[in-house]
Amino acid sequence: MPTFAIVILVLFSAVLAGVVVLRPAITASRAGKILAFGVLFFLPLFSLVEGMENEMQRSESTAFCLSCHLMEPYGKSLHIDDPTYLAAAHYQNHRVPADEACYTCHTDYAMFGTLEAKLGGLRHIYIYYLGKPPQPQDIKLYKPFNNRECLHCHLGARSFEQGATHNADPATLPAIKANTLSCISSGCHDTVHNVGRWGDKVKFWEGGS
Amino acid sequence: MRPLVSMSRNLRISGIFVITGLFVEALCLVWSKPIAFVVLVCMGGALIGLGVLFFLYSLVFASPHTTDSYKSAPDKF
Repeated sequence: MPTFAIVILVLFSAVLAGVVVLRPAITASRAGKILAFGVLFFLPLFSLVEGMENEMQRSESTAFCLSCHLMEPYGKSLHIDDPTYLAAAHYQNHRVPADEACYTCHTDYAMFGTLEAKLGGLRHIYIYYLGKPPQPQDIKLYKPFNNRECLHCHLGARSFEQGATHNADPATLPAIKANTLSCISSGCHDTVHNVGRWGDKVKFWEGGS
Repeated sequence: MRPLVSMSRNLRISGIFVITGLFVEALCLVWSKPIAFVVLVCMGGALIGLGVLFFLYSLVFASPHTTDSYKSAPDKF
């Protein structure tokens, strides 16, 4: 349900609840009892569930992640005009959905991956408001990036399975698939965001949103 | 008469909790900051939950009433 529709539903529920608050005598009739049950039980819970679902959905958007100013340089890194920058190449070429770019790579494609990502987000909020937030360039992943997240899309893709570098050594592809050879930290695709290490020569792509 | 006045009062109390929670939710939905989700769940959810639970509690423990007896309950909160 779109956000504006949920806001209208919430306000409509509040208005109806206001009627019960101002005129509780209407609940003496059968229709009034049904109304009271609807506006003091069903509608508020329905609105709350819809609102939370909407917020959950919104928390997956690139705009949501970048609304935190600590993430600004990471957002900027998506616009670097250099195909060796992994995050930028994925974002600019729509290898990941541009409006869910952060979430697509940084969620965990395991059973509780979405839940873990949301809990991680709550931890970020806690650190931001009540802890000591690090400088953007000092932000590190909680655990090493798992190849599973890359293979979620790349596994079976011709460019991955038949790529010259991936097949130069017969042991490479199985090692990547087994997560014993990291895509990112083994020196192959290690230029990801590189926040704080851009230098002066880096250029930015003007396109995108 | 006392239980009827009490039911009327309980409806108002739960209604006020629900309305406040719904307004908090509406504000969070238009507030595009990461903290909005936490406020929605912790404040909006808690207020709506309290209102709903208080309404259910009132239903379970309220005495049966009639239309006439409700008329004698004060309208003002």
